[in-house]
Amino acid sequence: MLRMEIALFAVMAFVAYIYFSAEKKYTQLHSTFSVLLVVTLIHLAFDGITVYTVNHLDTVPRLINDICHRLFIGTMIFIFFLFYQYIAILVEEETGKPRKLVKTAAIYLIIAELGDIFLPIHYAVTPAGNYSDGIHVIFCYISVAFYFLLGTGLLVANWKSIEKKKKTAIVIASLVELTVTTLQGINHTWLISGMGITLITLAFYLILENPDILRAELTEQKMSMLYLKSQVNPHFLYNTLDSIRIQAQLDGDKKVADLLMKLVEFFRHSVKVNRPMVSLDDETELLDAYMELMCYRYPELDYKCDIDPDLGEVQVPNFILQPIVENSLLHGLKNKGYRGEVAVSAHKTADGKLELCVRDTGSGFAEGKRAQINEMLANYAKQTPKLTGNSIGILNVQKRIKLLCGREFGLRYSENEDGGVTAHILLPLEEAEE
Amino acid sequence: MKKLRVLLVDDEIIIRRGFRQLFDWEAHDCEVVGEAADGMEALSQIDSLNPDIVIMDINIPIMNGLKVIQLSRMKHPETAFIIVSGYDDFAYCREALRLQITDYILKPVDYEEFGACIDNLKIALFQQKSAEETEGGEERIINKIVRFVQNHLAEEISLSVLAEEFHFSTQYVSQLFKNEIGVNFLTYLTNIRMEKAKKLLLSTDLPIAEVSEQTGYGDYRVFTKVFKKSEGVTPSQYRRDFMDGSKAGK
Repeated sequence: MLRMEIALFAVMAFVAYIYFSAEKKYTQLHSTFSVLLVVTLIHLAFDGITVYTVNHLDTVPRLINDICHRLFIGTMIFIFFLFYQYIAILVEEETGKPRKLVKTAAIYLIIAELGDIFLPIHYAVTPAGNYSDGIHVIFCYISVAFYFLLGTGLLVANWKSIEKKKKTAIVIASLVELTVTTLQGINHTWLISGMGITLITLAFYLILENPDILRAELTEQKMSMLYLKSQVNPHFLYNTLDSIRIQAQLDGDKKVADLLMKLVEFFRHSVKVNRPMVSLDDETELLDAYMELMCYRYPELDYKCDIDPDLGEVQVPNFILQPIVENSLLHGLKNKGYRGEVAVSAHKTADGKLELCVRDTGSGFAEGKRAQINEMLANYAKQTPKLTGNSIGILNVQKRIKLLCGREFGLRYSENEDGGVTAHILLPLEEAEE
Repeated sequence: MKKLRVLLVDDEIIIRRGFRQLFDWEAHDCEVVGEAADGMEALSQIDSLNPDIVIMDINIPIMNGLKVIQLSRMKHPETAFIIVSGYDDFAYCREALRLQITDYILKPVDYEEFGACIDNLKIALFQQKSAEETEGGEERIINKIVRFVQNHLAEEISLSVLAEEFHFSTQYVSQLFKNEIGVNFLTYLTNIRMEKAKKLLLSTDLPIAEVSEQTGYGDYRVFTKVFKKSEGVTPSQYRRDFMDGSKAGK
């Protein structure tokens, strides 16, 4: 029989290795399962040892035999306590009601372990093999039954409110527990308790604790953290900014009040991202608010926006100018200490399209950089999203233009003769349908 | 003209103080007579003060602003409401239109532009009053003049045209507007031109240029500019928003 114990130990060691090397969320359920795995391994080891010692009563000293036996039974009781604990936590998570009988289960554990240490052990010697019997073993059966009843009681009482998968795991565990204990009770020489414990632990592992589930839990947790982070309520933001603005104006600081007004306006425009297309006028208003703030911060920065009022109603993709202008500032004008000009203009091309130009007097492209960027923009579809820094912004603009307007439109860059670069955005010229 | 009495309703004290101190009520013939910080307080203040104008935040504690308006409408049909809200979505706007609000403005409030809102209100109040007056008896001169203006909106119209038509001096006509309505002639003219434009935009599918023509603007670019300044959106955007809004409402 020793071969079975060795195999079980190997299986559980493998499970434990996978379980402990997986990254997981910290929960009471998982920590209970971790403890369960460790105790099971110890238990299986003593299971194997006692299978040997109990059949070599004449060669192994009685004291060593007793100690191993008491450790074997002691860990077994502890495992059944943990099974119950695990089920109780599961039920608690499902129903949201706090666990009952926590103290009863713990106090009984102490009594059972004391019984295990002090009750006398008797070994029965039979031709089919030796085993222990008498008060010590009966006491062990009582303990198993006690935790079994607690666990199934919980299951029955909360049958309707437990999720199907978890219910399956608990039912399988209970059935294995019942079957194996009964069989062992009838055939004392079978010594199959280790198999039962392994099967129950495996049931929990495979159904509720496997790496896929752990990973999914972790991802969910991370996602909800990210979600929460991105959920600063915009109403809170601009309502607060507005109160500060009014306070500034009450205090007579018109300049600060005006700047805050611009900031609030910028926020309000940029919050309206649910519309894919906006009028060119709306788009330039957002840009105006942004640039007025930037020009305040960098007094030597100039901004010009020259758009024929006739073109104001043309529909353009939302939020395309600001990222381009921001790009000009960060990669062109920043290198010149924000001294220079950004000029935005719009005109009709000879073939009846709309061209928006963002011209800056910044540092221009480094050698070969223009070709590289235009190449990237031309192959926008193949670009992986892990591009560094600000090219994400212009790539995103490019993708949206192609998607919303068609493949013949889009963004490209050219170099100015007198320094700096110009972004050309080619768009269809269509007024909103009247 | 008697001063208009104003009640301020907003749950933030800074915003109430801003309205009180940063807007020149005196110059617009108004005075702030009270404040309220929540819906219940607003209701009882409206009852006890019977203000001409209530500046009303929608999102206030205990009872929201729209509910307050709904409840006080019955007892105080004369009171005009200006909804001030951070919720710039059309659902609220339309709800407000159903309640016949005289105006609806969005936060952040620019106190320099808030005067235009008060002017619009004065015109609305005047029109309400003159509609009641024409029911019986002799028509007052100002009513005759505004009726003439309304019937000739598509034409070139100015103080001197009116002066000639009614045999007054231009100063007299100008003063008449200031005294009877509380706003100057040009503000009045622009206001009713915009009202007509809005009506045309929503009830007909005339092109913008035609709407511009019918409301007295020869150059539709000028019209678009004036419209944008007064309504915050361009004429075609205004029409589109309404269409979208009624689609979403169905």
